[in-house]
Amino acid sequence: MSPQAIDELASEYVLGTLSAEQRDEVRQRLASEPELRAAVDAWEQRLLDLTAQAESQQPSPLLWRRIERSVNSARRQTPAQPTTQSWWNMLPLWRGLAGAGIAASVVLASVLMLRGAAVSEPSYLVVLVAPQDKAPGWVVQASNREEIQLIPLGVAEIPQDKALQFWTKGDDWQAPVSLGLVKPGQSLSISLDKLPPLAPNQLFELTLESPTGSPTGKPTGPIQFIGRAVKVI
Amino acid sequence: MSRLRTVQTRLICSDTSPAEQAGVSKDCRRPKLLSVPEPSFDYEACLADCARGEQQALHNLYDQESARLLGVALRIVRDTALAEDIVHDAFIKIWARAASYDASRGSARGWIFSVTRHLALNFMRDNARNASASEFDENALPDDSATVIADSFEYREHSGRIYNCLELLEPARRNCILHAYVDGYSHAQIAAKLGAPLGTVKAWIKRSLSALRECMG
Repeated sequence: MSPQAIDELASEYVLGTLSAEQRDEVRQRLASEPELRAAVDAWEQRLLDLTAQAESQQPSPLLWRRIERSVNSARRQTPAQPTTQSWWNMLPLWRGLAGAGIAASVVLASVLMLRGAAVSEPSYLVVLVAPQDKAPGWVVQASNREEIQLIPLGVAEIPQDKALQFWTKGDDWQAPVSLGLVKPGQSLSISLDKLPPLAPNQLFELTLESPTGSPTGKPTGPIQFIGRAVKVI
Repeated sequence: MSRLRTVQTRLICSDTSPAEQAGVSKDCRRPKLLSVPEPSFDYEACLADCARGEQQALHNLYDQESARLLGVALRIVRDTALAEDIVHDAFIKIWARAASYDASRGSARGWIFSVTRHLALNFMRDNARNASASEFDENALPDDSATVIADSFEYREHSGRIYNCLELLEPARRNCILHAYVDGYSHAQIAAKLGAPLGTVKAWIKRSLSALRECMG
């Protein structure tokens, strides 16, 4: 398909004039054709302001309650319906990760002992996994609540014009706080002296940002790896 | 129809407290600005919070955009209960897919509107597929009697690049674009609405999109 034909298809998809069959076809192709996806994204942005032509309509007071109920019932569902359930709502996943965390801590502790390092056993552990396939990519360990180590389990692949930025957020914090940029495959020791002490369930994540880091000071790019702190018994 | 909606909006707003009326997300105080997004609302951060499973973020987004999203869906599906179903499904989808939102592909606000619009369009097109081709519902089109082509779309003045470029199109062609995008009309519905041959409408739309592309870059 020529670039012009791709652009025409994308424009009519976004405009809304394609038939059901043609729309199905575009949706399927979007997953595997970056050119078509880019053309659709560009047309979405071009035409977005036309949504202002539709007059606002106050929803009935029941609508939010309906949405809330659906979100909560999705949280309660078992992982038997993976299409409707998000990974972060899967209790078994987090239980599994907590177990994996403990196992990893044992491995790490023994590694540290073999190295003869004068480091006490980690008291907190986080396994950061990829949101899509849940593959573990990094481990965060802390032997005390003021300093953490970020340890790669492999070399994450990221686009050349992007950087990985490391973030953390406690349960009661307003927004995530940046812990700086991270190179794939690089170990890092970070002092938390300007932050509250590490707490159980504290969130850690790595997002894809511009090479100089997020311009807004908050995560803007897609989450690459994410996990929560587990206290090691 | 629009008069009725305005009255309804006022009724809903009349029992809100002064504090609520002062709130940024209450649209009723400034009906002229209904479609202008609040610049202070951080849509990207809101989606990131949703991705972390923070339900309050979804609620904030709902307060911020549900009325505009419902307006967009209602124009396409033309039934309030159906439009609320679409907005319901859109928020569930936004919640479930927030982690997959990629800022490099476009604005978070644009993504939210695209999710909603495409759910509404899918519904209409799938419905048309399931109905037999001869059952085209003329009654679904408002004021089908002899409409002057140039005035068939009740155009609301707005600023923005797309509007400058739309101004450059002939009125009939501009209306094709607006009926398709805003009303979700198919080629056949636009042809019926404008009283123009189907082939002509298809060609107008194709050339208008190409002209918009030239104009907007």
